[in-house]
Amino acid sequence: MKGVLVKDLYIARSNILVTIVSLVVLGFGLTFLLETSALLVLAPVAATTAVFISITSDAASKWNKKVITMPVSRNQIIGEKFLFYILLAVLGLLTALIPCMVLACFGMDITLHSLLLYGSIGISATLLAGGISLPCAYLFDPEKSQIVFMMSFMASTGIITGLVLLINLVFPVKENILPAFGIVLIISVIWFFISYRIAVTVYQKRDIN
Amino acid sequence: MANAIMVSGLTKTYQDFVLDHVSFNVPSGSIVGLIGENGAGKSTTINAALGLIQKEEGFVSILDREELDRDIKEQIGVVFDGSNYPEILSPRKLNRVMKNIYRTWDEQVYLRLLKQFSLPSDKQIKQFSKGMKMKLAIAAALSHHSRLLILDEATSGLDPVVRDDILDMLLDFVQDEGHSILISSHITSDLEKIADYIVFIHEGKVVFEKPKDELTERYGIIKCDAAQFDALDKSDIIAYRKMDHEWQILVSGRDRMQKKYPKTLIVPATIDEIMLLYVKGEK
Repeated sequence: MKGVLVKDLYIARSNILVTIVSLVVLGFGLTFLLETSALLVLAPVAATTAVFISITSDAASKWNKKVITMPVSRNQIIGEKFLFYILLAVLGLLTALIPCMVLACFGMDITLHSLLLYGSIGISATLLAGGISLPCAYLFDPEKSQIVFMMSFMASTGIITGLVLLINLVFPVKENILPAFGIVLIISVIWFFISYRIAVTVYQKRDIN
Repeated sequence: MANAIMVSGLTKTYQDFVLDHVSFNVPSGSIVGLIGENGAGKSTTINAALGLIQKEEGFVSILDREELDRDIKEQIGVVFDGSNYPEILSPRKLNRVMKNIYRTWDEQVYLRLLKQFSLPSDKQIKQFSKGMKMKLAIAAALSHHSRLLILDEATSGLDPVVRDDILDMLLDFVQDEGHSILISSHITSDLEKIADYIVFIHEGKVVFEKPKDELTERYGIIKCDAAQFDALDKSDIIAYRKMDHEWQILVSGRDRMQKKYPKTLIVPATIDEIMLLYVKGEK
C-alpha cells in the first residue's frame, strides 16, 4: 500500500502545495473579515480535492487496471484512497491551525472552543462528503469524480444541518453546541468507515477493463 | 513439462460477446502467442486469467497456484497496450513507487534496463513516445525477477524497429528455462518470429492450440481455379475463400496434399493467412 500512497503523493504534490499556501494566506487574510478559526471548516475539505485529482489521473492512465496485477490487493487499493483522504483532511486542518496559532501569539482572540467547534464541523463535512464521493468515484465514472466530490460536499452540509436539527429534538443545540457537533463528528466517522467497507465489498467483485 | 499457465473452460458472458469455455496452456520455458482479430476475446481471456474480471466458469492456474496472491503477483510481469503508469511520473519516481510495491523490486536491474533502452530517468512519462512507454513498461515488468510475462497487445501501434527491439528483449527473457511468456497480438508476424505455440481465438472460442512450427510447416494454401476447386475432396478443406481470380483453400498436411493434388499449386501458409481464412473463409 505504501507504494500506491507514494504514487498519489507524487500526483497530488503540486495541488497539495497550492492548497497549503492558499490556506495560510487565506487564514491571515480572514482576520480582517471574520474569525480566523472559521478557516478550519473549509481547510479539510479544500485539502482533500487532491484525492480526486489522483483518482482522475488513475483512470486516465489506466493505472487502476495495472495496479491489480501488482502485489496489492483490491482491499488495499480502496483502503489507500480512504487513508490518503484522511491524511489530506488532517493536513488541511493542521495547515489552517498555523495562522490561528500565529495570530493567537499576537494576542488575537482565538478560543479553544471555536477551534474545536469549527474543526469538528470541518472534519464532519469532509468525512460525510468523502463517504459519498469516494465510493461513487470507484463504482461509477472516475472521470467525473471531481464533480461528484463537489456535489457530495453540498450534500454533506445538508446532512449536517439535518443531524443538528435531529439532535435539537433530544437536547437544545444552542446551549450544548460542542457536544452536539461532537455527536455529528462521531456519526461522520462511523459513516466514513461504513462507506469504506461498502466500497471494498463492491470493488472486490467489480470487473476492471 | 510443467505449465506456467493453465486455462480450462474459461467462460465469461457479456451482453454482446461470450468467452466460451476457453482452454489452453502455457508450458514453462515457452512463448505462447494468443492470436485473433480485434474483439475475438484475447484481452478478455487475459483479464479473466489475471483476475481483473470475474469469470463465470472455468479454472485458471498461474505458476501452479489457482489464487493470485501477493507471492504469485510478485513473479508476474504484466504489460498492457500503453505504459499504464501515471504520466506525471518520471522513471526515477516510478522506481520509488515500485520499490514500495514489489518486495522483489531490483533497483539495479531497473536502472540498467533504463540505460539499455536509452530511457531518460528524469523525463516525465507524458513526454515519452509510445515506443519509449512500452519499453519502460517492459523494463518495469522485468525488474522484479518475474518468472512469467503476460503481454496484451504490447507491440500494437509501434514501428517495426521498436517492435523488433521488444521481441529481442522477450527472446532474451526466455533464455532462462524457468521463464515463460503469454503474448497476445493481432500482429501475427511478431509471433511468427518468437512464439513456440499459437493459440487462435475466434468469436470467443479457441479454434486451435498448436506448436508454431506445425502451423508453418504443415499448413498450406491451395491456389486454384473453380474447376480445380470442384475436383477437391471437400474433407481435405479446412476453410476456403473465393478471391477475384482464384480460390484459396487452407489445407493441413501440405506434403500429403501436394502428392494427392500434384497439379495444384500449394504454398506454405503464414499465420496471418491461416487466421484470415479461418475468420473470413467458408468451411
